[in-house]
Amino acid sequence: MQSASPGVQNEERGARLGLRLAFWYALVFVVTSLAIVLLTYRLLAASLEERDQQLVNSTLREYSQRYAEGGLRSLADAVEIEQRSGRRERMFVRVVRGDSETLFLSAPYAWNDFDVSRLRGLGGLEEILSQSGTARLEVASARFRDGTLLQVGKSSENREALLARFRTVLSIVALVIVALGLAGGAIVTQSTLQPIRQLISAVRGIVRTGRLEARVPVRPERDAIDELSSLFNEMLDRITTLIRGMEHALDNVAHDLRTPMTRLRGVAERALQSDDPQAQREALITSLEESERILAMLDTLMDISEAETGTMRLELSDVPVAGIVGDVVELYENVAEDKHISVSTEIDAGLTVPADARRLRPVLANLIDNAIKYTPAGGQVMVKGHRDGTVVRLEVADTGLGIASNDLPHIWDRLYRGDQSRAERGLGLGLSLVRAIVAAHGGSVDVSAEPGKGSTFVVTLPADRESGSITHV
Amino acid sequence: MVEDDQTIADFVSKGLAESGHAVDVAADGDKGFELAVTGGYDAAIVDVMLPRLDGLALIDRLRARGVRTPVLILSARRTVDDRVKGLQAGGDDYLTKPFAFAELLARLQALIRRSTGQTEPTKLSLADLSLDLLTRQAERAETPIDLRPREYGLLEYLLRNQGRVLTKTMILSHVWGYNFDPGTNVVDVLVSRLREKIDRDFEPKLLHTVRGVGYVLKVS
Repeated sequence: MQSASPGVQNEERGARLGLRLAFWYALVFVVTSLAIVLLTYRLLAASLEERDQQLVNSTLREYSQRYAEGGLRSLADAVEIEQRSGRRERMFVRVVRGDSETLFLSAPYAWNDFDVSRLRGLGGLEEILSQSGTARLEVASARFRDGTLLQVGKSSENREALLARFRTVLSIVALVIVALGLAGGAIVTQSTLQPIRQLISAVRGIVRTGRLEARVPVRPERDAIDELSSLFNEMLDRITTLIRGMEHALDNVAHDLRTPMTRLRGVAERALQSDDPQAQREALITSLEESERILAMLDTLMDISEAETGTMRLELSDVPVAGIVGDVVELYENVAEDKHISVSTEIDAGLTVPADARRLRPVLANLIDNAIKYTPAGGQVMVKGHRDGTVVRLEVADTGLGIASNDLPHIWDRLYRGDQSRAERGLGLGLSLVRAIVAAHGGSVDVSAEPGKGSTFVVTLPADRESGSITHV
Repeated sequence: MVEDDQTIADFVSKGLAESGHAVDVAADGDKGFELAVTGGYDAAIVDVMLPRLDGLALIDRLRARGVRTPVLILSARRTVDDRVKGLQAGGDDYLTKPFAFAELLARLQALIRRSTGQTEPTKLSLADLSLDLLTRQAERAETPIDLRPREYGLLEYLLRNQGRVLTKTMILSHVWGYNFDPGTNVVDVLVSRLREKIDRDFEPKLLHTVRGVGYVLKVS
């Protein structure tokens, strides 16, 4: 029950989010659609009005010409014929002499509603409102030399009727749009939120149960949410790998430390049973040395685990290969000299490799140390570095004992020591560390060896930071 | 010394007393703070994991109070991040557990030397062995000794810490600047080369091996 209330809260939050999304979707959809409808209506109204005015003006021009050529009689005949034949839309035509004496008037009966005496005849387009206020009479006029005034006009009645019908249709359309907008908003948000809800419930399930095997379902659509889901799964994979790796590492560390701890204990016990102060002193010294070894081992094991589980933080910089190889070779200079082994380097001029210098140094040190250790006096160790396409190859070759073929597959195993190796001091962790660190850098280590002729270890690292996909798991 | 582990506190304070230092021990952060504020100490050794007030917070509080006593941090954590955190909190040096007492002593004395502003000598010497830091010339019984760079580094380090045991780890990190296990004991090889040059043809012997611990430069 404890977890129920935050769950309900989350559900409410999800629902609120859905409602908000649906509201905004509908709002935007409806406003945009209505704006388009309104614009269409306005354009239609304007173009109808313009058409009527053109008609009035062209009729006025025609009748003026007829009046000028054939007088009132000719005009009246033309109007009569045209109106009756229906060749032309019904128009208001009036001829006025002086200020108010009407010589000729032709208008549909329905237009008596207009008070035509209010027309001034000033040229241009005049408008008078019908007494009922529902329509307008738009009149153009022309004055002749004899003082008579010809007026041609048209009522906006037809236009208004058309627009009224149009408005009715548009209202219905608008209603449908609003309905569609709301419904669409609801559906879209529902279907968009559905995978998010699934993601939430999957994640919640994982959080509640602590079961890391659970995965979020990924649909085949491959949209942003599916990407989020698969990224989430990837993250879970990584966490699982990390945890497994850490459990594994912890087991290993515990196991690997038991042997030297047993040795340490054995030495101390024996010393306690002895009465010889010299032997006790020796035991103390051995204990100290053993504890140093345990510490070194613990540190190396931690490094290996860190590198293997991907928790090792690498501070990458462009490391000059000649410099770092030179440093490490110098560290073993005296040792090599004492053994009469010549160490030579052959590095491409200006070669750099993107790596964490602090981590790369032990890698080179281990390889060079091994090469010197397992090469008899008078032998040679050669360190090479060159770029090969998108990778940098670092090669440590020796003319030493080589590696027996039955040892070869095991040399990377932690604490594995071949027969030849047992004679030398060491933890048996060097090559594991080398491989773990190189892998953490996105590279690989290979070995080729021939017993009695020598071994060659090749470290391959990505040459560019971009191409080097440094995978942490 | 602020340390909650009784055994460590005992062995450090006894060791320091034997090398001529007076030590007060506090077992938790609060007591440590009280002591440090009132005491007028040459240096403080502070463990990071402490009851009541952790080591870093303790140092932080001391620095805020204007207490300038140099602090050596002891910690079981060894990552670079932890080290940086410790130094940022106001610590002056950082030592990882487990440590060799010799190293603790060397670092502590270096801290005291630094804070009391002792002038840098230009010449180091022990018995008839001397090292001129300006000309980088070593002499034993007025005979010039030719040293290679790492041998010079080692001799300078030994002379500066004469009478104190230096561990192999300390030498590796001081002479080469490396903190990893080099496998083959390169330190042993370097020490025996230096010994060859400064001790083989002379008496008394100065460079001694302390088995199980390290090396010391002293007359005996």
